Amino acid sequence: MRTMALHQLVAEVAPSRAKRSVSPSANSAVPDALYWSMQMVAVATQRDRTSFMRIYDHFAPRLRCYLGSLGMQDSMADELVQEALLTLWRKAGMFDPSRASLATWLFRVARNLYIDHVRQQPEWLPIQKGLERLEEAEFGRPDSQPESFFDQDILKQAIDRLPPVQAKLIRMCYLESRSHSEISDELQMPLGSVKSSLRRAFSKLQGSMRASR
Amino acid sequence: MKPRHHLDDATLLSYSAGALPVALAVVASTHLERCAVCRAGLLDADRIGGVLMQQQYVDAPTENARAAMLASLDAAPATEPLAPPVDIVEEHDPDRLPSALHPWFGNSMRALRWRRVAPGVQRIRATGIGDGDLMLLRVAPGSKLPLHSHGGSELTMILDGAYDDLLGHFGPGDVADLDAETVHQPVTSPGVPCICVAATDAPLVFSRWMARTLQPLFGF
Repeated sequence: MRTMALHQLVAEVAPSRAKRSVSPSANSAVPDALYWSMQMVAVATQRDRTSFMRIYDHFAPRLRCYLGSLGMQDSMADELVQEALLTLWRKAGMFDPSRASLATWLFRVARNLYIDHVRQQPEWLPIQKGLERLEEAEFGRPDSQPESFFDQDILKQAIDRLPPVQAKLIRMCYLESRSHSEISDELQMPLGSVKSSLRRAFSKLQGSMRASR
Repeated sequence: MKPRHHLDDATLLSYSAGALPVALAVVASTHLERCAVCRAGLLDADRIGGVLMQQQYVDAPTENARAAMLASLDAAPATEPLAPPVDIVEEHDPDRLPSALHPWFGNSMRALRWRRVAPGVQRIRATGIGDGDLMLLRVAPGSKLPLHSHGGSELTMILDGAYDDLLGHFGPGDVADLDAETVHQPVTSPGVPCICVAATDAPLVFSRWMARTLQPLFGF
């Protein structure tokens, strides 16, 4: 239903007008997540290359930087970024903005490619595909938690408000892919404290999204 | 039946980050296949990842990279066909192992080749896990394991049968996500053997755990 509303929106908001809304100077009336969802609708329904390249120009360098931070070599990171964006082009029709924002969706794609290529966990991609299909089937149930177009901004602020230690641990997980034991060794912090700090951080961030829904 | 014991939030977060040691990630995937609550938690964790990824910034793409991207669109097959709607009716084939375990143990419970490691305890260890230790355990009904704790992280999910300890009753689908500090004494339920998949984050820790666990009871 949300997707239907977006189809109407994309017709109403011309790309140039929408584009302005994410420029840093503009007083954004359209949240970023909504803007990117509209670009995705244009890619899915009209195979619009201009919209696709807007997505590419914004996300490719970020994905590239994310994969680089995980320790991936330049050439492989370049290759996987292109693979992730090509996946987006081919599967744009399956994108559901009420389930996950484009940033969340691309994060998953890139993370899964990293685990498959670098960590080489057997069958990781089909297993994740299976989990996503279960999630797809249960979405729309009363207890499901749709992502609001404001969630990303709220999360960003909530991450900024985390106590320094919790923020550091979250970053070591996501941006350096360090395990709990590795973090514990590196920071000389008991394993139990690493886990409880991460638990508290997660609960705060999750709470910030729940409060907004 | 819906699982009542779930993955720790710290585990979900590391799973989302791609930072969980392989053996633990296999058990986490096994539980996620069964648990809508943890799948919803994972989506939240992935949203955090999405924000952090978007905060990463480097230079704009080069013209060469843009041209290569556009060229690859021309070569790409049109679109992915939509998959048929998924059937989420729980599978009741008791012989089928969860998909996440297939690469390590095959897909059939009956075809498993158990090895006895102590009276009433059988085990199959996965080979080729570089990162941690992964095994299936089959414990006879009504067995009491000695009091023990764990050196590092341990993740166990029940596939069949059940056990009780101070943390509660654990049945099929339930996961015990234990800290190093947790001391417990599982007692398997009467009736059928308790079959579970267990992972630790370091082989050395496991050897010590196994020795401490079984040594006083079985004398080896």
